[in-house]
Amino acid sequence: MKGVSIIFQRELTSYFSSLFAYLIAFALLLVMGILFVNDLTIAADLRPPDAALVPNFFAFALIFFAPLLTMRLLAEEKREGTLELLLTAPATDTAIVVGKFLGAWAYFTVILLLTFTHQFILLWVTRGQADLGIAIAAYIGIWLYGGACLAVGMVFSAITENQIVAAFLASAALFLLWIGDRVGTVISNIDIARFLRELTLQGHFVSSFAVGLMRPEDVVFFAGIITLMLFITIRLVEWNRWR
Amino acid sequence: MIEVKDLTKRYSTRLAVDHITFKAPEGEVVGLLGPNGAGKTTTMRMLTGFMPPTSGSASIAGIDILEDSLAARAKVGYLPERVPVYPDMTVEGYVLFWAKLRGAKAPRKQTAAVLERVNLADRSKTLVRNLSKGMRQRLGLAQALVHNPPVMILDEPTIGIDPQQVIEVRDTVRSLAQGHTVLFSTHILSEAEQVCDRVVIINHGKIVAQGKPAELRKKLQPDLHLYVQIDKLTSKEIEKLLKSIPQVENVQKAGDGYNVRVKKNADIRTELIDRALRAGGSIQEMRPVIATLENVFLDIVGKEDV
Repeated sequence: MKGVSIIFQRELTSYFSSLFAYLIAFALLLVMGILFVNDLTIAADLRPPDAALVPNFFAFALIFFAPLLTMRLLAEEKREGTLELLLTAPATDTAIVVGKFLGAWAYFTVILLLTFTHQFILLWVTRGQADLGIAIAAYIGIWLYGGACLAVGMVFSAITENQIVAAFLASAALFLLWIGDRVGTVISNIDIARFLRELTLQGHFVSSFAVGLMRPEDVVFFAGIITLMLFITIRLVEWNRWR
Repeated sequence: MIEVKDLTKRYSTRLAVDHITFKAPEGEVVGLLGPNGAGKTTTMRMLTGFMPPTSGSASIAGIDILEDSLAARAKVGYLPERVPVYPDMTVEGYVLFWAKLRGAKAPRKQTAAVLERVNLADRSKTLVRNLSKGMRQRLGLAQALVHNPPVMILDEPTIGIDPQQVIEVRDTVRSLAQGHTVLFSTHILSEAEQVCDRVVIINHGKIVAQGKPAELRKKLQPDLHLYVQIDKLTSKEIEKLLKSIPQVENVQKAGDGYNVRVKKNADIRTELIDRALRAGGSIQEMRPVIATLENVFLDIVGKEDV
């Protein structure tokens, strides 16, 4: 698709030239490091350290982290007027949205890759005894989970010109999708609770990827969320033309 | 070239552009002239593929904007009214991004050439956020020009910049006429007169007049008007003298002199000098009064508004 790679490169470069993006990554990795050291200390001589600690932390942190990464993607373009130029370039709306999404997902991937250092430390501390299977499955899961969160964030960035509003609304939506797996505590009907849990991000991560299971339905779920959210974003961008 | 036929845009209840038809041939700078809110920007947005028309058709370099929007967009260089920039990019990076996105054949080479053309080559490594408003305007022109499109659409490119930069931008636009079709919107009439080969006057979404600036002036003022300033005579004597010439239709006081309207195809200059000298007067100034585009515009738009 013409234009995807050019827009992807521009977005990725933009993250790496933004102090704000570095600060977000720094804060995230700092908290991650503290939690990791804490878990190692607690686990010492009691239990094996948690190989999925990093992905599990991200499953929660993405509620706030993903909207911070996506809030400017379209909201800023609208506010600055660059969206008008983009929409008059010979690139489809799909190429613009997909390029931007891939840029954000690539930046998230880089941050995720940086946390591999924790896994190396874990391997070193446990003298190679850490359960790498769980870690690999959890990382694949959180990578897809992150993609879904970023796609949700993009929808809200396409709705408004205000980045703060975009981030707030996306965080609220992601929080609902995150906490939704606890729906069983408020709904007594097991079937309904089970169905609603199937619609949540956590429902397709905590009991599968995070414990080393890779089920096709979970992969399809995250791929489906990404596709659906990007489709909605493309329609919202298109709507700008018809206003 | 640009060809527009019955182009219409309706925003829910408001008709922003109402069945406009015009052509902008290759090698010409065509001015889209009109007051704020006349429909200039909406017209340009439809031509650039930013928004679809409600009805009608338009083609850019022979490509229909609705049938093959992407191909038509590739033929256009567009500078919106508010120059949109990415402040975090360098000047060179910004232009290169648009060059690649618009499919320039040699993006780096063309970026360097266009930066040279708009006098920003020495700023190529500067962050866009550090540029002055005038420089941003030139950067906007650079991004519109970089892929060497056959059609350039510039929405009020001289708005909000200092006089020196206005002259530079006008010169650049004028120089674009060679090899490009330029559609240039403005509400500054003198600018349209200086820059444009043809003018399309638009008001309330409708075209109210179009043609060469000189033609439009002639349409409004087919007769010769003279401004005359005569000394050594009283106002009464001067008025009597002017009205005594049979071809004079109307005399009006204007500053220190008089505006004299004469009958079609009549030339009273020799007779006027003769009569003034005989009456003991001395002619200080005598010149034809040429209607400016401003007069044409106010006349047409004024009538419309009434």
